[in-house]
Amino acid sequence: MNYLMMIAIAFPIIWGACLPLLHYKEADRSSRNKYALTGTLITSALVLLNVFTFKSNAGFQLIQLTDKMSIVFDVDALSCVFLCLIAILWPLAVLYAWEYMHHEGKENKFFSFYLMTYGIVIGLACSANLITFYLLYECLTFATIPLVMHAMNRRAIKAGRKYFMYSIAGAATAFVGIMFLVNYGTSLDFIYGGTLDLVKIGSQQNLILFGYILTFFGFGVKAAVFPFHGWLPSAGVAPTPVTALLHAVAVVKAGVFAIMRVTYYSFGAAFLSGTWAQSIVLSFACFTIVFGSVCAWKQQHLKKRFAYSTISNLSYILLGVGMMNAQGLCAGLAHMLIHGIMKICLFFCVGVVMEKTHREYVPEIEGMGRVMPITFGCFTIGSLSLSGIPLFAGFISKAALGTAAVSSGLPLGLAGLCALLISAVLTAAYTFEIVIKAFFPSKGFNTRHLREFKDPSWQMKTPLIVLSVLMILIGLHGTELMNLLSKIAMNLM
Amino acid sequence: MLGLITGLIVFPMITGVLCLLPVFQDDRRRNLFTASVLGLNFIFVLLCFAQEGSFDLLHLSDHLSLRFMFDGAGRFFLLLAGLMFLMVGIYSFEYMTHEHNRPRFYVFYLLTLGALNGVCLAGNYMTLYCFFELMSLLSMPLVLHSQTEESISAAKKYLLYSVFGASLGLGGFFLFTVYGGSTNFVTGGVIANELHQLQLSSELLFQRNMLLIGAFLAIVGFGAKAGMMPLHAWLPTAHPVAPACASAVLSGVITKAGVLAIMRVVYFLYGSSFLCSTWVQYAWLMLILITVLVGSTLAYKEKILKKRLAYSSVSQVSYILFGLAGLNTWSLTGALLHAAAHSMIKDVLFMGAGSIIMHGHTERADKIDGLGLKMPVTFACITVASLGLIGIPPLFGYISKWYLCTGSLIAHHNFFGWLGPVVLLISALLTAGYLFTLTINGYLKKEETESDAHEAGFLMLAPMLILCTLILICGLFPNLVTQLIEFVNTLA
Repeated sequence: MNYLMMIAIAFPIIWGACLPLLHYKEADRSSRNKYALTGTLITSALVLLNVFTFKSNAGFQLIQLTDKMSIVFDVDALSCVFLCLIAILWPLAVLYAWEYMHHEGKENKFFSFYLMTYGIVIGLACSANLITFYLLYECLTFATIPLVMHAMNRRAIKAGRKYFMYSIAGAATAFVGIMFLVNYGTSLDFIYGGTLDLVKIGSQQNLILFGYILTFFGFGVKAAVFPFHGWLPSAGVAPTPVTALLHAVAVVKAGVFAIMRVTYYSFGAAFLSGTWAQSIVLSFACFTIVFGSVCAWKQQHLKKRFAYSTISNLSYILLGVGMMNAQGLCAGLAHMLIHGIMKICLFFCVGVVMEKTHREYVPEIEGMGRVMPITFGCFTIGSLSLSGIPLFAGFISKAALGTAAVSSGLPLGLAGLCALLISAVLTAAYTFEIVIKAFFPSKGFNTRHLREFKDPSWQMKTPLIVLSVLMILIGLHGTELMNLLSKIAMNLM
Repeated sequence: MLGLITGLIVFPMITGVLCLLPVFQDDRRRNLFTASVLGLNFIFVLLCFAQEGSFDLLHLSDHLSLRFMFDGAGRFFLLLAGLMFLMVGIYSFEYMTHEHNRPRFYVFYLLTLGALNGVCLAGNYMTLYCFFELMSLLSMPLVLHSQTEESISAAKKYLLYSVFGASLGLGGFFLFTVYGGSTNFVTGGVIANELHQLQLSSELLFQRNMLLIGAFLAIVGFGAKAGMMPLHAWLPTAHPVAPACASAVLSGVITKAGVLAIMRVVYFLYGSSFLCSTWVQYAWLMLILITVLVGSTLAYKEKILKKRLAYSSVSQVSYILFGLAGLNTWSLTGALLHAAAHSMIKDVLFMGAGSIIMHGHTERADKIDGLGLKMPVTFACITVASLGLIGIPPLFGYISKWYLCTGSLIAHHNFFGWLGPVVLLISALLTAGYLFTLTINGYLKKEETESDAHEAGFLMLAPMLILCTLILICGLFPNLVTQLIEFVNTLA
């Protein structure tokens, strides 16, 4: 089984790296797109095969760096959650990119890096210790910079540079935190419950907590925790498949995943629970939730609005993680999955509007619900879900988060509940503003000039419909999913 | 049971969407279709009276399930909703002729009815919240129907207030699931007995306080729909811009969904004895009494007819809440009687306002001089309804007030006992002030300028007349209604 996992990591990287060697011309769009999709589908199949046959503690050691550090890969229950998410979403995003990337150009470069990123994210999910994780975390930054800078105009380059600076600085900070673990821990492996050596720590508890805070904010840069969220809205200049998949799911969730790993598998929730470090984590999460929603509400640029919404929603997950108990982790995991599905769907819808009509601002979408019924239908389902209306997926994770926040019994848990509720209202405000504009243009609005616009081709519609159906299915029947996640969170798998 | 649930919730929703079919572009055909759907819905409601019990339909996750319940309270509100939607539906066939986009109106009209029936049938907190949110979302297009800038921003305001209110309700839900236990509605509440005692250990005291906070959040949150301060402001904004038939159901029926939601939380989760004489009850009573007074005063000063009626709803629905907050059988009886009375009366008033707008060509209450002679039936109905709302026997409306005041004197041994009746009395005077002027100006004053105002057609007058007759019958034979609400004896 070890080899299967290594193949799943290496295959998309090699497949993607080979793409430029094939010298596809502009005219070969369809064969290149098929090449990319085939690669993604094979990888997803490998990943899912891995997930369904996984056996923990069957790690694969690639390189021994020093006697304390080595590059080891292993699949455990937590990896499976992340793996499943990306294995479902990546092929959909590639399918969506088929048509979308046509007007962006430079598709060879795009698909090449897009596939390689897939391999790196799989590796990230399968990392068995912090060193491996850190290595792939840095790789992820490098692999995605060309994607952010895709347009290569001044704005894109600036955004790419900003993203790069934030990420590298964050990773460096996190690395300092990791050094504390090297000193005071038994090993860097991910073991549920943490690896700290209480004898070595003695009375230096605060020092370790300081180390944890460094790691939290370091990895928190990718999870867009306030005040390190600035790169995410700027990175919205990237093509939509990148914003949708990487800046709503893969990259940002890698940051969240990192925090889950260090909190529950390195420092240990029991050690952190009830300390000032937990208070800091929770207060920053609460603040970011409200802050992100308010910014999204005030933002008129469609993509930036959802970038801010992502900032807010990532902190929902961190709020769950910050509860430092199994119930909180379970809620966080649920929101990680469900938010991924919701946000990618919303970004795809926004992308359709931008690609088809070249309009980017909220007031400009007036009346478009009539001419693009499927796009805005899916958008409405995404909005209902994101606002946490019952019968849609978002409610399941919101209910789990709210219950976890209250039952933690912490004062900051109640603050978290307030943040969730305020943010839910703002979410309804900023998403339904768009729905109302699209479906109910104001009186006297001339729809004639909208006639040239219509719903996109099946390649772009399929992901939208699949994701909408997923949201409804999870919303109606989330029992198995939640049971599975709570088992994972309690480390019973 | 499943059949009835489908008939009451899914059937109106599906038929609502069917109104979009090209076949129903034709007004006559669509009206017939809608009328038969509303009629069928009413029959389903009547069939509910043979049902009792509850069941889980679907598990969303381990702790969340869609649960439905047939019981006295639900049936009572189902009946109200079914009757009002039928009456207003018939009225709308003529009223909507001067609005555009008619099929869409009926789509959301029927969708709202489905969601509202869901609220009435909800058997646990989650289901209640779910249909409550759906109802807010689906009734929002009724508010923005004319799609003017003003109505769209009013719809957004309505949505925001509703979502915020529901959010607070959800906060209460979380607090209750963690500290209270099961959220299935049970007569008399589900809170463990040990929390009722006065002397509690610090742990239990914390639990009790958390529960009280949850109750307050839920009351204020769901109170947004019932127009209770501080979340009342959407009502006077949304009602004037919506078509009259939409404001009639919004004001007459949908505000009652807020009442039912609060009633479910207070009497079926917390239990009246748990909340009795707590700060929650007193804070709630304060909010209610302020709302009653402020609502009446603002209505008295308002010149735009529908806005005046909206403020009147703000004040009158809080009468109902005042009964709920009494936490005893008398008050509760009064509350439910007033819910029925206010539904009928306010629907007649809004329908009357609609026909004044449509056929009398004015939206202002100070511009209706002399219209009564040209629209005698409309003004007669308005007069009957006004008398009912003020509380003049033998019209429905005086009985509920009598119960409310008696209940208040029995329930509260502190100053709320007499403050309540005093406020109700002042408010009744104000009500007389703002409603009688309509009758007086309409019938007795001379018209300033000649206008082509004329009486409304049969379809608009018939529902108003039927409801006026009902107001009279219920006033003469109140036992008809009190029989329906005998279940209150088990609640408080």
